[in-house]
Order: sequence, then structure tokens, then C-alpha cells
Amino acid sequence: MPPAAGTPQDATEKQQAAQQAVDILHEISTILNCHLDRRTLSICISMIENGVNPEALANVVQFLRKEAQKADFAQEASR
Amino acid sequence: MSGSNQDRTKRVDLSINRLISQLLPDNPHLSDEDAQQRHDLFFDEIKQQLNQPRPPPLADQNHASELIRRRLVQTNPSQALRYSNLYSRLLALPVLNQKWAMLYLLYQLADSPDPNEPDPVAFAEFQQEQAKRRKQEEREEYGSSGPSNQESVEPPRRDQTFDDYNPTELRDVLKNPKDMKSLDGESQRPSTASDHKRNKGSKDNVSIPPKRDVAIKSKLLADNYCDIEPSEPALLRDLPYTLQGLSSTTLPFGKEYSLKLPSTLPPPLIGLLHSLAEPSLLYRTLEDFIKTPAEGLLGQSLRAAISNELRSYLTLVATLEGQIRRALSTIDENAPRSGIGKAGVTLKRCVVWTREATMGLRLMSLIAEESKSKKGGQLISLIHSFSSSHGDPIVGAFAERLLKPVTRPFYDILRYWIYDGELSDPYLEFFVQEQSVDAMPKGKSGSVNVWEDKYVLAADMIPSIVTMEFSEKVFLIGKSLNFIRHSCGDAQWVESYSKESSKELRYGDTATLETWIDEAYKTTMRRLLHLMTNKFHLFEHLQALKSYILLGQGDFIALLMESLAANLDRPAGAQYRHTLTAQLEHAIRGSNAQYDSPEVLRRLDARMLQLSHGDIGWDCFTLEYKIDAPVDVVVSDWGNRQYLKVFNFLWRVKRVEFALSSTWRKVTTGSRGVLQTARAAVRQTWKTTRGFLAEMVHFVGQLQYYILFEVIESSWTELQDKLRKEDATLDDVITAHLTYLEAITHKGLLGARRRRFVASSAGAASASVEEDDNSYMIQLGELLRTMLAYRDCVDGLYSWSVSDFMQRQEADLRHNVSHDDDDDDEDGNGASRPGGPQSEFPALQERLRHLGDRFRTKLQILLGDLAYQADVDLRFLGVAMNFNDVYQPVRRKPKGTPAAPSKTAAAADGAAVGAAALGTGKGASKG
Repeated sequence: MPPAAGTPQDATEKQQAAQQAVDILHEISTILNCHLDRRTLSICISMIENGVNPEALANVVQFLRKEAQKADFAQEASR
Repeated sequence: MSGSNQDRTKRVDLSINRLISQLLPDNPHLSDEDAQQRHDLFFDEIKQQLNQPRPPPLADQNHASELIRRRLVQTNPSQALRYSNLYSRLLALPVLNQKWAMLYLLYQLADSPDPNEPDPVAFAEFQQEQAKRRKQEEREEYGSSGPSNQESVEPPRRDQTFDDYNPTELRDVLKNPKDMKSLDGESQRPSTASDHKRNKGSKDNVSIPPKRDVAIKSKLLADNYCDIEPSEPALLRDLPYTLQGLSSTTLPFGKEYSLKLPSTLPPPLIGLLHSLAEPSLLYRTLEDFIKTPAEGLLGQSLRAAISNELRSYLTLVATLEGQIRRALSTIDENAPRSGIGKAGVTLKRCVVWTREATMGLRLMSLIAEESKSKKGGQLISLIHSFSSSHGDPIVGAFAERLLKPVTRPFYDILRYWIYDGELSDPYLEFFVQEQSVDAMPKGKSGSVNVWEDKYVLAADMIPSIVTMEFSEKVFLIGKSLNFIRHSCGDAQWVESYSKESSKELRYGDTATLETWIDEAYKTTMRRLLHLMTNKFHLFEHLQALKSYILLGQGDFIALLMESLAANLDRPAGAQYRHTLTAQLEHAIRGSNAQYDSPEVLRRLDARMLQLSHGDIGWDCFTLEYKIDAPVDVVVSDWGNRQYLKVFNFLWRVKRVEFALSSTWRKVTTGSRGVLQTARAAVRQTWKTTRGFLAEMVHFVGQLQYYILFEVIESSWTELQDKLRKEDATLDDVITAHLTYLEAITHKGLLGARRRRFVASSAGAASASVEEDDNSYMIQLGELLRTMLAYRDCVDGLYSWSVSDFMQRQEADLRHNVSHDDDDDDEDGNGASRPGGPQSEFPALQERLRHLGDRFRTKLQILLGDLAYQADVDLRFLGVAMNFNDVYQPVRRKPKGTPAAPSKTAAAADGAAVGAAALGTGKGASKG
């Protein structure tokens, strides 16, 4: 999230804008079949805004997904 | 700065935690501790990854967006527009400083597998891990205890690096250049570019982790590399311009399609540049060719097709340029050979890429060169020869592709021609060409034959895509349509026909085209014949020609002759047209001809031929049948003359027959009355005369029978057969009619065909051949004249006999009155009597004998000729005339025989003379 702004009114405006940004980006991600939900998306946005390399982040997301799947498999196997 | 940095790291850490918990659902089976441990593990892992130094992938948000857009256009074009909208809205938002990075992230994640569905790759990895773990456990059973967590960490890491290598590093190689291109996009100057590159390159060197070097060979090569001037990158940079035919600093174009290569380059590079110069020079040539003005539609279409091909060549050059730019932006100036070996684009590669295009350009320039001296159908043939008879499939396919646009004007003309019957060919490129009225060969009367001569087939313009047969068909179709429209005045039908059957003709589908042509051919021909038969009564005219001009209508001719006979005996100068037409009218009214259609009768006319001195009416009289516009293509001027010739001959024969039979009648009736005489000499003379008359009547009868039945009727039947044929065209009709006329003139003894016979049989000198040309005509003419003279003599004899009879009657009367002496009458022969009539008798007798002999001799000569005639029908005529071998045919010696006739020839001559003498003797004895 962008750093907090000076006035509260400004802050609400910003929040709205941020909300919109998330909406738009979510839509784009749907078009592109990214399979990102809004929450994950907003986390990613905040990380990117904080200077994380997008490519590295993409790798991380993929990696975590894979891990999650593995965990699922492990669960199924143990069951 | 450091404070905010710390702040930032903290926030990132927080986000990582949230991300982990978001993406990794809690595992209820794990204890809190384990979960925490696992979480930490991932956290470290992620942290490590994120902190790995990476090149900033790109700093331009347009680029990321462009990447996405391109991808969408490729995979899902319908969404591309929607994306553009979203993107512009996103740009408008005041928040987010790193929009491009976000987009790039999305781009990287695009089309990632759905996390909720089992991913086979992950499953495979999982199984591998499982197996490994099991092995580990087995090993552990043997006592080697290791930190289990280390084991569990290792596989993911290896996985991760493996994973990382494939998609990311490769992408790095491919995409980084593009990103950087945008940085120094417009700066082409080597200095600035290299400046940039040094900065970039150093960063690259630091940031890119050591990758496996794929291009070992190129590296080896690069090591053995010496500097060249200008450098390969510089050459590469200029290459796109050169390929487009534009001069550049390193590769300037010289005069007249030449390219100056820098002299400082080593031979291998010069070789490469040579092969790259070819397409550039060809391109320049072709571009100039396109600009030259074309004469002819096909020339224009050829230029258009070539310019189209050049456009696709330019597209190739543009792609090439993009590749070169991208490669140049990545290369490392410090590396050996400027690191060009790793950039993916080298001069060699450019040669390979332009190879196929060069082939096309080469072929086109060949075509362009050769097309200068050709036009129309020849142009098509030229290109078609490449496509049909060139062994190289690439050349064939290329020419085939070129043919389609090039032949379009040709097919347009063709279509207009076969569906409208009009020739819209301003540059004389079609294989049918119109002749101007002046150029048409004229008939004797100055008339032109519209059917035969208005259009001609230009054989050298027939393109090889159509066959000769096909082109003739096309020619005939168009000609017929044109004829229907202009000569038959049926433009309406042509228009409606073209409206309903007009089709788009195109190159390629030859089979369909041919069926269409066939269809059009049939329709047109049927229509034309229909018009000819029903509207212009062609067959009725032919029938009328036969019955009137060829004397088929017997009663009409007989009546005409009877009524005209008295008139025609007078000199030609005393013939008046109005009497002739009146008599003609009378003959029509009085015979079955009156039932003929007025259309036909209207055309029948009687007139006098040009008269010469001393002619009598018989020689000049002729019947005429007038043929007008559309039908005259069948019954042409020439045909009319033939008809007239035949008519004149037949008319003469008829006249002789008429004269002979009237005399015969007179003599036969007279023999019962006035011709009875007691004198033996006169009786004998009459007997011989009657014999000769009978011979002549027989001769004329046979001749007429032969001409009318053997010749005309049989030819007519043949003609009818040909005309009634199902698929007869107008051309067929014309040919059939021509053969019909020829058969009649030839077999009717009128033709000039004897020339061939004489030439082949005797090898006579040409002079004599010329003489012989019409020998049958001459012989028959003489025979007929002899007969007429004979008949005149007979008439003379008859009048002498009559007057003699009258005198005797008077004398008898006187005798009876004066002295009754009957005996005196018995022995008192007329020879002893004095008086005018008495003195005429010997002269008449002599003349009759002479004429009779002449007739017989001539007839024998004619029979001799006929007996050796090649034509069966003519030989048969001879047989019919001489069926009881009364005559001895005489074999005439050709005049031009070499002067070697030895005894045999002389003997033969003697024999012939003897035979002739014998013949006369026989005739005399018979008479």
C-alpha cells in the first residue's frame, strides 16, 4: 500500500483509488489467467510497491503454489 | 534513506508472511511447532530469492503493457481490446508507483496453472521427493543419521534452481535485449550506443549469474578473432538499409545497381556481404522496373504483382531489422568480437534468413527482364513456363502464386469475350484480335466476310495455360456471340445470356473453367444455329438454291425454258429485263414453285450476264438467287459464283436437251407424214440422222441424269446429314456447304481437279496442265455446240424435206391433172429433178455426216478420258454412256509426253485411229 497521506480526506481518496487499482489489476489478471485472488493480488501489489523485483516475486508465487500442491499431495497420501 | 529502507524490508517481510499463509493453507495434521518451522523455512527461502540480485527487468511500463497486449493478441484477440481499456484506466489512477512492475508480474504469471487443480509437474516432483525421502529413510535405517530438515530443504532448492533456470534464465536471454532496445531505441550512433551498452553490460555481467554456456563453438571462434573495420555490429546495423536498397555509410550503393563493399574487410566477410548484396541489388532493379510505365494490362498487372511481392520482402526486412536491433542492444562491446556470437544475429544468419527471399527476387527479376520484349499471352506463357516446367518446387510455387494476380486482366478479357462477345483489349494482348475493316480481305464485289475475317486467332498470343483446342473454342464462342449481336441483330439475347451466365473466371481451376467454356460454347452454338435456321431460314435458302439454281425443280425449269425459248433465240442485245422477269413470274405461277414461301421467291431473279458480240440470249441468260447479310457467311461470294457456274452449265445442257427433244418430236411426227419420201437417198439420210439424234439424246440424258442424281442429290444428302448433326456449329455448316459445292463442281465435270490427275499420271509440263485445267468443260462445250449445230442441220433438212414434200404434192396435183402416169412417180427419183431444194440436199447430207462424225469422235475422246479418271463416279458416267460398248473410247496421249514415242506409241496411235475409224464405221453401219 502506498504510504499514508497527510489528510484523512486525502487518505480516503487514495484508498478508493487503490481499491480501483486492485479491481483493474484483478481484472487483467483474470484475462491473463493468472489465478490470483484479490487478497494475494493486494499482497503482491504492496510488495511490488516496496521495491520487490517482479520477476523474483513471480517465481516466489509459483514456488509457493507448487509447495502448496505438494502439501496437498502429502496429505492425500497420508490419508 | 536507510531508515526507509529498513521500513521497507519490514513491510516486505510482513507481506511475505502473509503471502505464505495465503498460499499455503494450514495443515491441520501438523503441530503448531512444525507449522511454524515450515513457515520459517519458506520464509527464509523466499527471502533469499528476493534478495538475489537481479537486473531490473525493465523500467518502462509501456513495454510491459506491450508484452501483455502482444500475448493477448496472439492467444485471445477478443480480450486485447478489453485489456487496452483497463490499461488506460490503470494509467489514469494516481496511486501505485510501480504499475509497470505489477503488470510485469502479471505477465510472468500469465497462464499459470490453476492452483486449485492438481498440477502434474508438481505431482511428479512430489513423487520424486517422496522416493528420495524413502531412500533417505532407508539409509537412515542403516544408522547414518542426518539432519532431516536439511534433507527436506535441499530438494526444494534444487527444484527451485532447476525451475528457475528454464523459464527465467532463458527468458532473460530472449527478453532482456528487447527491454534494453527501448532504452537506446533511437540512438543509432555507435558511440552513444556503446556508452549505454557499457553501463548496461557491466551491470549484466554482475547481475547475470553464471549460466551454462551453450554457444561453446562460437566462444571458441570468438577467441580466435581479430578486429575488423568496420565492425560486424556496424555492418549489421546498416544491413537493413542496404536490403531496402538505401545507401548507408558502410555499404554505399554505386552507380547502376552496384554496391561498394568496404575494402578493409577480410575475404570471408566479403563473401557474406556478396550474398547479402544480391537481394539488395535485385530489389533495386525490381523497384525501378515497377516504376517503368507498362504497356498493356498484363504488364501492369505483372508490375502490381511484383510490387506486392516486394512488399512482403520489405516485411521480412523489417523483421530482420527488429532482430538486429534487439541483438545489437544486448551485445557486449568488451567481449571478443563485440560479443556478437552470443547475440543471436550475425551476418551469416542474415544470409540464411534472406535466402528464400533472394530466390523469389531472383525469379522476379528474371521475369521482369524477359517481360520487356513480351506482351499479352506471351507474358503469361513466360510465367507459366516457370510454374509448370521448372524442376525447383519453390520456383514453381512462387510462379504459381505470381500467376494469379498477373492473369487477372487476361481472364477479365476472356470473360467479356465469351459472355458478351465483345473484345475489350486496348493493348492487343488477347489471343483473339479484331481486324479493321480495311485489313479484311475483300470479295470481288467489295464485300467483306464478317464471320471469317472480322476476328482472327493470333496463335502467338495464346498463353500456355490454355490449350489450342480450348482457345479455338473460346474464339468461336466470342465470334458467334459477336456475330449474333451485330450481324443477326439479336443483341437482346446476348445481353440476357451474359447476365445470367456470366461468371468470374480465375486462374487455377482449369477443370471448372473448361466446363464453363464448354457450356458457353454449346449454348452459343445452339443459339446461333437456331437463329440461322429459324430467323434467317438458312436451310430453306439452301433448298431453294438447289431447286432453282441447280435445276432441281423440274417443272419450273421446263416451263421457264419453254416460255423463254423463243425469246432467247434472239441476239443477246435484244433481251430485255422486263420480259425476262415477266417470263420468270409466269414460270413461277405456272409451276409448283408458286407454293414456295414468298421469302424465297422474292430473292429469285432473272438477268442477263455481260454480253459479248455475237451472243444470243441463251448464252447470257442466268437465274440469280440473292443472299443477304447473315446468311452470306455460309453462301459466300465464292459460293454464289460456284452456283452460277453450275447453273450456266446445267442451263446449257438443259437447253441442248430441250432443243434435241423438240427436234426429235418434230422428226418423229414428221416421219409419219411430211417426211415420207420415195427416194432412197433421202430416206437413208433421215435414218442416219435419227440414229445420231437418238445417240445425242441418250448422251444428254445420261449427262443430266448423272449431274442431277449422282452428283447433286448425293452431295445434298451428305450436306443434309452434316447440317442435321446434333452439335453442328456454324463453322461446321460452312465447311459442309463448301464441300458440297466442291463436290458438285468437281464431279459435275466443271472442276479444275483434272490438273492433279494429269500432273500425277503423265508428269506433263505445266503449260499443258494449264490447258488441261478445264478440259472437261471444253470438251463438253464442244460436244454441246456440235449437237446444237447438228440439230440446226436437222432442222434445215426437215424444212428441205417439207418443201420437197410440198413440191411433190404440187407436182402430183399437176401430174394428176395433166397426165395420169403413176409409174413415173416410182422410179423418177428426186436426184434427177431440178430445182432449188434439190440442190441443197447434198450439202445438208454432207454437213450432217460431218457433224455426226465429229460428235462421235469427241464423245470417244471424252469417254477415253473418263475411263481413266480417278473418281469412281466419273468413271461410272463413262460406263453409263457406253453401256453396250457402242463406242470405242480413245485414250488421248498427253501433249507433253517426251519425244521418245517409239514404235509402240505410233502403233497405239494407229490403233486408236483405226478404232476411231472402226467406231465410225460401226456407227454408220448401225445407222
